[in-house]
Amino acid sequence: MKRRPPISRRTFIKLTATVAAGAALASCTPRQSPTEASTARINPTLPPSPTTETVPSGTSPSTPEQSTPTETSTNPEPSPTTSPAYLAVVHGPDPAAITRAAIEALGGMAAFVSAGYDVIIKPNICTDYHTPEYATTTNPTVVGTLVTMCLEAGAKRVRVMDYPFGGTATSAYATSGIGDAVEAAGGEMHVMIPAKYTWVDIPEGRDITKVKIYPDTLEADLLINVPIAKDHGATRLTLGAKNLMGVILDRDMMHMNLSQRIADLTSLVRPPLTVIDAVRILTANGPTGGDLADVKQMDTVIASRDVVAADAYATTLFGLTGSDIGYITASADMGLGTMDLSSIDIQEITLG
Amino acid sequence: MSWRSWRRVRQAVQIAFFVFYIILIFSVVQRRVAPPLADIFFRLDPYSALGAMLASRQWIAKFALALVTVGVTLIIGRVWCGWICPLGSLLEWVSFKKARKRAASISPQWRLAKYFLLATSLALALFGGLTLLVFDPIAIFTRTLTTAILPGLFYAVNSVETALYQVSFLSPALDGFEGLVRGVVIPVEQPAFTQNLAIATLFFGLIALNLLAHRFWCRYLCPLGALLGLLSKFSLFRPVIGTSCTQCTRCAVVCKPGAIDTDPEDFHIMPAECTVCLDCMANCKPGDIRFRYRLKPAQTEEFDISRRQALGALASGAVGVLLLGTDLRLRQDNPWQIRPPGVNEEDTFLSTCIRCSQCMKICPTTALQPALTQAGLEGLWTPLVVPRVGYCDYGCTACGQVCPSGAIPLLTLEKKRSMVIGKASIDRNRCLPWASGMQCIVCEEMCPTPQKAIRLEEAEVIDSSGQASTVKRPSVLRDLCIGCGICEHYCPLEGDAAIRVYDA
Repeated sequence: MKRRPPISRRTFIKLTATVAAGAALASCTPRQSPTEASTARINPTLPPSPTTETVPSGTSPSTPEQSTPTETSTNPEPSPTTSPAYLAVVHGPDPAAITRAAIEALGGMAAFVSAGYDVIIKPNICTDYHTPEYATTTNPTVVGTLVTMCLEAGAKRVRVMDYPFGGTATSAYATSGIGDAVEAAGGEMHVMIPAKYTWVDIPEGRDITKVKIYPDTLEADLLINVPIAKDHGATRLTLGAKNLMGVILDRDMMHMNLSQRIADLTSLVRPPLTVIDAVRILTANGPTGGDLADVKQMDTVIASRDVVAADAYATTLFGLTGSDIGYITASADMGLGTMDLSSIDIQEITLG
Repeated sequence: MSWRSWRRVRQAVQIAFFVFYIILIFSVVQRRVAPPLADIFFRLDPYSALGAMLASRQWIAKFALALVTVGVTLIIGRVWCGWICPLGSLLEWVSFKKARKRAASISPQWRLAKYFLLATSLALALFGGLTLLVFDPIAIFTRTLTTAILPGLFYAVNSVETALYQVSFLSPALDGFEGLVRGVVIPVEQPAFTQNLAIATLFFGLIALNLLAHRFWCRYLCPLGALLGLLSKFSLFRPVIGTSCTQCTRCAVVCKPGAIDTDPEDFHIMPAECTVCLDCMANCKPGDIRFRYRLKPAQTEEFDISRRQALGALASGAVGVLLLGTDLRLRQDNPWQIRPPGVNEEDTFLSTCIRCSQCMKICPTTALQPALTQAGLEGLWTPLVVPRVGYCDYGCTACGQVCPSGAIPLLTLEKKRSMVIGKASIDRNRCLPWASGMQCIVCEEMCPTPQKAIRLEEAEVIDSSGQASTVKRPSVLRDLCIGCGICEHYCPLEGDAAIRVYDA
């Protein structure tokens, strides 16, 4: 009788093939280190910046004198009677109306959104602790109105996202009221996917030159940055540039040199439109809040293509100036925008 | 309806309960709100119910449902084991061909082990200890899914996605998949648990024992099965072999729990071992096994627990209490023994917590981790808040919602926010602004209390490069701190945080 080998040739080949397939699959998975392979997919020059063609308007945030949008003439929407403002500040009791008026003052949403655009709105949804009247998360009506306006302007998809530090995305979307408002307006609440974060170079970065970022925020046709103006221990105020920290995961490392690193991140993301919600502002114990005595009703929305100018204006609501906030001066110093409010065209509107 | 059809009904019911159990598991993975019925399997479990009520010396209303299981058992036997118990179903499905032969060489005396385990754990409970409830079958299954199987599954999904996202044309498909599952089935945060290996080893060990005998765990070890088995001796309807029996032993061959004694002098079904699976009835040639009404308790078996053995179990329980109670915890408190919100008295907690791990499963930040010896040997696999892993979310009351025994009380959000689970304390020798003159204060930013429990003071310092600079230094306002641990969780230092929450 023939003695059978302990393992047949066929079995051996099968096992080898399985192990090889497993090894191949395993080697595809990058570990948590910034390898060249994992950065290759993202082109850091892709995000809307003054030098690329992806921005629908010819406006450069750092050069206010060229602020005539080139595409407004081709807009199907009725052109505003006055020339588009560099910075719009609108006061009024109805958050939806003032949001709409602020965007109209900048030339209407059609100046930012073309048909078929994939839009991302990044509000501040930092925790799942409080409802909107505590002014810890962006006003849901402001976010909902922006979603509506993007869809009206022909956007094919509007996603709203943030990565809370307190609670989970799903619970924070619910508590903040933003989830309901966005879904009612026809937008999508997007839960940011941990597997998707990618290392990207920051070519202009002064302190950090690499960051692990949510790639969709760089690849979208339009990113609308919608912070709420509120108190913040480390930076005094959290506004537009600070709100961009929501698109990265490792925020601990940012705190080592917070102001410069926020400016570095801003130089990478360069939000083409910043809308600051100052319907209610949180004046103390931010960014987490929780005491209605610290909330001040301001009924204001600030909008600009220039995140630095918008932030600089927002500081005045707290009795400060742009130069009081480290990341505003650092961003202005990098040429990401202007903090000199006297040099820009500010259109202030009060609705009844 | 024939017995064969009834058996098919049973199999369908079994699958239905198993699927229901798995759906319930997924419905409470890292959520803030638990669906109703989330703890239904534990509430139906008389072993946990009896243990918790004995140990905490109180009537626990939530466990009233366990009376349903007791009632059903008193009418028709261990229906729970053969129709409902998800671990029992799993062990029935994982069967090995040679197990029946191997089982023949195991002395039936070993069946005593389960009665002894039951008696010892109830004796322990009588003295206030619930440590042995770690052997509750529902708890074993839930704990393993929570700490080992689900984290592994989620890690696999995340890893495969990370790899596939490198291929750009797959991104839309992956995004679509993510949109369906993330935050719904798969939690946003990857869970990780200490002790996962030990817990998984116990579970897979129990499954491996099926190599030796069908439903090994159910036959020889399960304390819940033992409790229901004792009740089954008094059940009104019992499967009985009729007079036309030819002793062909077909019934014994198919009986998974081995509940048929094939002694030719006394060929009978042992009700205490029978899981009411109906396999014998469906396979009986003469078709003469049926349920019969009986008032007299079933006959005693050689492996039934004797009075002497019961006393031995009681003594073991007493010795166990002394040993568990006199480990070092008696004299030395663990400074990091932080319990979930609303838990005040440690002793009350230890004698109410049934070690089910539901709280660890639902905690959205996976802050709750199974203890090994941190709470003494007695506190094995009870939940501890480990802030470096996860913080107690200021907007969440989930753990109290799923606790079947009320060991973690159900609190309103307002009440929960006032619960102090510990106190934070800063190590100024490690804290970046204090020790190195660096800017940081992440802790203050994260502090969720309306009036921040961490105060900042500006100070002129020499920074790490030797330059004079101004930094903000944090200090804890002890009266305001609730010990949620978010400061410790986010402290950017490597390794241990410079701000830590201590048991208050």
